[in-house]
Order: sequence, then C-alpha cells, then structure tokens
Amino acid sequence: MTQETGATAAQLKGYSPPGKPTLTRCRSPEKETFTCWWEPGSDGGLPTTHALYYRKESSERVYECPDYHTAGENSCFFNKNDTSIWVNYNITVVATNTLGSAFSDPVDVDVVYIVKPNPPEKQTVTIMEDKGWPFLRVSWEPPQKADTRSGWITLIYELRVKLEEENEWEMHLAGHQKTFNIFSLRSGGKYLVEVRCKPDHGFWSEWSSTSYIKVPDYFHREKSVWILLTIFSAFIFLILTWLLHMNSRSLKNCILPPVPGPKIKGFDNQLLKNGKSDEIFSALMVSNFPPTTSSNYEDLLVEYLEVYVPVEQELMQEESKDLHGGCLKCERSTSDSDSGRGSCDSHTLLMDKCGETKEEGRHTDRASSRMLTEAQRHQKGWEKDTLTYAHGDMVSPDMSNGRVKTWPSVFSPLPQYSSNPLDKQSSLEMAKQHCLSTSSCLTQPGHSTKEALGPSNWDFCLGNKQPHLLHPQTQVGRQLQAHSEVNISNIGRKQAPAGLQSPALRSTEYVEVQRVNEEDLVLLQPVVSGCGRIEGYPQMPKGKDYSKVKGVDSDNMLLLQREVMEEDWCPGVDQEINGGTGNCYTSSTVNTTQKPTACIHTAMPVQGDMALAMNGYVDTATMCTLPTC
Amino acid sequence: QKLCRKTVEFMHRQLIMLYMVAACRAVAINDLLDRASERSDILHSLSTTLSHDLDSQFPPIGRVIMPRPSMCHTASLQTPIDKYQALQVSESDLLSLARSLLQAWEDPLAVLSTSANTLPHPAQSSISNKIQELQEHSKNLGDGLDILSGKMGPAAQTIASLPYRGGNDIGEDRISKLINFNFLLSCFRRDSHKIDSFLKILRCRAAKMQPEMC
Repeated sequence: MTQETGATAAQLKGYSPPGKPTLTRCRSPEKETFTCWWEPGSDGGLPTTHALYYRKESSERVYECPDYHTAGENSCFFNKNDTSIWVNYNITVVATNTLGSAFSDPVDVDVVYIVKPNPPEKQTVTIMEDKGWPFLRVSWEPPQKADTRSGWITLIYELRVKLEEENEWEMHLAGHQKTFNIFSLRSGGKYLVEVRCKPDHGFWSEWSSTSYIKVPDYFHREKSVWILLTIFSAFIFLILTWLLHMNSRSLKNCILPPVPGPKIKGFDNQLLKNGKSDEIFSALMVSNFPPTTSSNYEDLLVEYLEVYVPVEQELMQEESKDLHGGCLKCERSTSDSDSGRGSCDSHTLLMDKCGETKEEGRHTDRASSRMLTEAQRHQKGWEKDTLTYAHGDMVSPDMSNGRVKTWPSVFSPLPQYSSNPLDKQSSLEMAKQHCLSTSSCLTQPGHSTKEALGPSNWDFCLGNKQPHLLHPQTQVGRQLQAHSEVNISNIGRKQAPAGLQSPALRSTEYVEVQRVNEEDLVLLQPVVSGCGRIEGYPQMPKGKDYSKVKGVDSDNMLLLQREVMEEDWCPGVDQEINGGTGNCYTSSTVNTTQKPTACIHTAMPVQGDMALAMNGYVDTATMCTLPTC
Repeated sequence: QKLCRKTVEFMHRQLIMLYMVAACRAVAINDLLDRASERSDILHSLSTTLSHDLDSQFPPIGRVIMPRPSMCHTASLQTPIDKYQALQVSESDLLSLARSLLQAWEDPLAVLSTSANTLPHPAQSSISNKIQELQEHSKNLGDGLDILSGKMGPAAQTIASLPYRGGNDIGEDRISKLINFNFLLSCFRRDSHKIDSFLKILRCRAAKMQPEMC
C-alpha cells in the first residue's frame, strides 16, 4: 500500500519509470577482455540505476556485470576471467528507478568479432639518407595489450603522412611490418606522421599520436641541378651572342635600315650648322633649278668644256702643267676599260688637280682659256664607252649619245654651289650640269657664263641662256676656264687634253664639237688623235684635232677650225647659236641630229698662236668660220 | 693428407645437405602455414561478408527465433575458449582441430550451396556465388592442411568426426529457409574464425626464424 501510494504519489508528481537504455557498443582491445557501454534512457525524474546482465549461450545462468567502474560511466568491463571467446554473450541492460525498470534490447556479442585494438605505440620517425636523398623511416610498436607475439592477434598497420601546411593525408598500408619508409620528401618540409592498426578480423584502432619531423634542406642536391642549368644557359647565351655578333651587320640592316640621307643639291651642312639661313637657301638655289629636262643623273655630271687659248707659251705651259697636274677630271666614274691614261680616271685625277690650279688660274688671268667639258656621267653612252681613250680608237658614232668628254677642266667639275668668288665658275659648272644629258644641250645657265668667263673665260656654252656669254668671249686669248658647261654629248671618250700629253704641243685640252642638238647647243667632243677623239690620251701629236674657233660668222655661228687633219668622223661641231641668246659664240653649222654631227675643226696652233683659232679654242673674239665636216 | 682433405670435403658436403634438408623442411612448414593462414583468413572474411549480406535483409523478428549457436553441429568439438587455453594446445592438436572443423563443413556447405539457388533473398545470386567461393577455398585449405599434417606428426592426423545431420533441406517456408540459412552461416563463420586463429597461432609458433611474421 505504502509502496503503491508512494508510487502513485510519485507518478502524480510527474515522475515516470526510466526509459529504455540502449547498449551502444562493446569492444575488446585484445581479444581477452571487453567492455560494453550503454546509453541510458530517460530517468523519469528519479534516480535511476542501471544494471547489466548477461547470459552465455551455453547456459541459462544470468550474470551481472562484474565491473561497472573500470571503463567509466555507463559501462561494464569484463575482465579476462569473465571473458570467453567463441561464445555468444547475451547482454541486457536494465534501468531501474523507484517507479519501475526498463530493459534494453538484448544484444548478442561474440568477443572475437568486436576486437578493436589500441593504437600502435612507441612511434618514431627518423630521417635517413639513401644516396644523398633523404627519406623518412617510421617505426612503431604494437599496442602493449595486444599479444601479437603468440599469434593470438595478428595486426596490420597503416600510417598516414602529410606536410604541415597541407590538408590531405597520404595513406600507406604497411601490412604486418612495423617499419615503413617514406620517400619523395620536400626539402625543408615539416611532416606529420600517424599510425594505426587493425586485427585481421576486427576494427581499426584510433590514430596514434602525431609525430613531427622536419626534413633538412638538401639544397645542395638541387643546387647541382641549378648549377648545371646555369652553365647550360650561359653557354647558350654565349652562342647567341656570338651569332649576333657575326650577323650584327645584317641584323642591323634588317632592324635599322640605313636611312638614306638627303641629297640636296647645293645643301651645305656646314652652313646649316652655322645657322645662316640666307646662305643656305641661296646656296640651295641652284641656278639650274628647276631642272631642265635633262636633269637627272646627268645633271650631276659636270661637263667641262675647256678651251685653252694659250696666250703665251708659258701660259700654255702653265696650263699644261696644270693639266698635267691633273686637270683631267672626270666626274663620272668611268667604267671604261682604260688602257692608258684612261678616260675618266685620268681625267679625274687631272681634274682634281686642275681644280686647284684652276682656282689659281682664275684669279690670274690666263692667256688661254680653257673650256673643259667633261662628261661626267655615263649614260648609256658611257657604258658603251669603248672609246675610252682607246688609243687612236675613235668611235665617233659612239659618241653620239654620249657627251663630249673633254679633258678635265682645271677645277673640279663638281662645283660647290656656294657663294664664293668663283661664281662664274660655279655657274659654269651649273651650266655644265645642265648640259649633261644625252641630248647634250649646250645650254648654259646665264650665270655660269658670266662667272665662267672672267675676262679670260670662254664660255662655250652656247645656249639661249647665255647671252652674256659673249661678253667674256670677247676677250681673246683668255682661257676659258673650265666650267663652261657644255653639254657635249659625250663621245665617251675622254680626250686627253691636248696640253696633257705634250704641253708643248697644245697647252690645253681640246674639244671638238660633236654636234649641236636641237636646242642649238653645241656638242663638243674632245678631239683626239686623228680627230682628236681620244681623250686623255697622252700622245698628242698628230692625231689631235681640236676645235678651233675660227670665228663667228654673221649668223652667230661659231666657226671652228680644225687644225690637223680631219677625218671624216672627226666630230666637228658647229655651234649654232640661234638668236635670242647668242650666248655662245656661234658655231658653224651643226648637225644636231646625228651623233657626231658637228665637226669641229679645230686647229690648234701650238705655237702659241694667239688665242684665236690657232689653238682650236673657241675664241669669242675671233670668230671664224670653220669648214664643216 | 690428400685423403684427409677429401674426406673432410665430403663430410662437409654432407653436412650442408643435411642442413639444407632440415632448413628446407622448416621453411616449407612455415611457408605452408603461411599459405594456410591466408586461406583461412579469406574463408572467414567471406563468411563474414555473407552474414552481413543476409542480416541486412533479415527481419529483426527472425533473430529472436533463431536457434542458438550452441546448436551448431560442431559444438561438440572441444575447443579453447580463451587465450590461455588456446596457447596451451599443442601444435598437432591445433592442427587437428582445424582440420576437423574444416572437414565438418564439407557437407553443410554443399547444402548451403544448393539452398542458395532457391534462397528467397534479394541478394540471392551474390550469396550463391560467395557460397561457391567458400566451397573452393575450403577445399583448398583442406588439401593444404592435409599436407601439413603429414609433416607434423601422427597426432595431427586425427580428425574428429562431426557429421551434419541437418539433411538437404534447410526449410520449407521462406522464413525458416532464411532462418536456417542464416543460422548455418553463423555457425560456419565462427568455425572459420577458429580455424583461422589456430592456424595463425601455429604460424607464429613455427616462425622462429621470422619473428616479423607474428
């Protein structure tokens, strides 16, 4: 009654019998003992006790748990004496409070199936080296309780490794062995190692405590690789440098092609630097700009027509000397096969020297004027120059398109178009340049004539443009200094100036008029042997014919006389100055069309005949008609 | 002197041969035991897997009415029940026990195999296959143990007779079939574990030269 009252009273208060407990698990660490844990149910608000009862399969006897404390709370520990293997345990947990008790579901347990060993013990990790490469050696001991020595428990092991900063473990199954090697370590890395074990038919143990190990830096190993790499790359670099060096030029041209510099006629860098713009521009203003039709390469060529009128012997000598000195100057680069004094080469040489001397001569009046025509460029006619002074090889026809190549003038054919006292000269030269062309106009810029002729200059240029040419020409016996630009179709042969070879004979170069083109330009061509075609031909003597101006006829024609014998192909050019310009001294009739149309009858009185026609120079003063070829 | 040397050489050779024979024998047993242990290990693992497969589908009620393991036909065989007892059994006895148990399951396995074909279970085919594997392994193990026993003395030759009296039929209805099947498997699972344990103890005892085995 009391009990019931008490129970009812308790129930009335809201208490209840305990809930059903639950056996959660039972484990045996070494197949010799085992432990079972349970989970209690609700206690119903009242103090509840639990009891575990078990029964072995072969008997009905019920035993209670011998040990509730060793394994902790809500556990039952079966020691060795109470543990039988290959025997089913029927275990039940009972929760009891004042109101009642509750039985858990029975659980059949066979100890051999619930083996879960302790983690391996005495774990060590060491660094070892294998041919310079380090590796980890992990070793451990089986858990102390597990009897593996007798074979009662057979354990297999597993370990895991990871770098400290990583998240993923690397698993390794070690089997029955108790050591393991880990290779492929990172230099200087810090590793974590853990081991666990499992019986052959049981559960995995927990992971052992972590072992930390730091791999030393085996940089020296990798260093050798780096050293090799460095050497190799340096080697390749050297090879590349060498290759670059060898091909530097071509590479330079490829990458930085040379910039063509400006070629402006009359442009003087120095002037530019000086900053005198006026001078610059004036220098730029070439008289022959805009270029005439004949402007092209040939324009650059300066053709000199030098007519030498030896006033005195000495003069002639002088000039001859000058000439000798290298009056012959050929502007153009002669590709002529020059046998002897060759054409341009010698001309050039001579010209250079002549240029210098000419300067002097300029200032000093010369008795003889010279005109030098020089064909500078080789146009087509040039190329064809067979007549490079072939000795005695006159190719008059070849000369046709060419220019008359007279021996070099005293001064350099290429004028510096700078304002200098030698204006005349330069102008003449300019004129000369203009005269360059196949057509060989003998035009001469007006300026040139002026300047060219100082008192003693003859301007041979006969073109419309030079009216004033005549003036200087009036002077007789003056030497025409070179640059009368005579567009003389170049014959292609350079003639050695008369004065060259034998100064005694003719003091200066000779020119023979080749033809006159449409523009009324006298085309002169140097007369060499025979007709005086050979230029630069040292040997003067007989073959040389020069144009010798006999006079000017009423028609303003320059009459040239040829002194020596005349050949048919002796070019003689009669200049014709048509009206208007009347610059040059007219020549005799001229055939412009043909190549060697004009024939210049030159006569050169070496004897120092007074300027006049004797020397075959065009003497403005005296005009005489020359017989035409 | 020459003769003496020759004699010494001859004896030397003989000794070597003896040693080799002895060594070979020892090595052979070790190796045999090792193989046997592996086989038994597989055997037991298979049976464990089978039991798990069956239990997953087994209604909980069936557990209650399942016969107790003491009703296994091999229960009559006295085997050690703890480590202390087990370690005291001689090698020959251990081997004999192992062989007896193995022999006792030759017939029941056949029954299981036939029953598996008509077993009302969703994983019936897998179970059937595994039963067949069990049979194969069991046979192989038995043959190996027979060879082993030949090397271990006469006591190892004794095989206890443990006949199976369940007959060919393991049940009529579905439930009883399943229950009986499960029961038989559980019995086999335990016995295979025993075999495995005995052999591994034997292996460790024989591996004096290879302590790492144990």
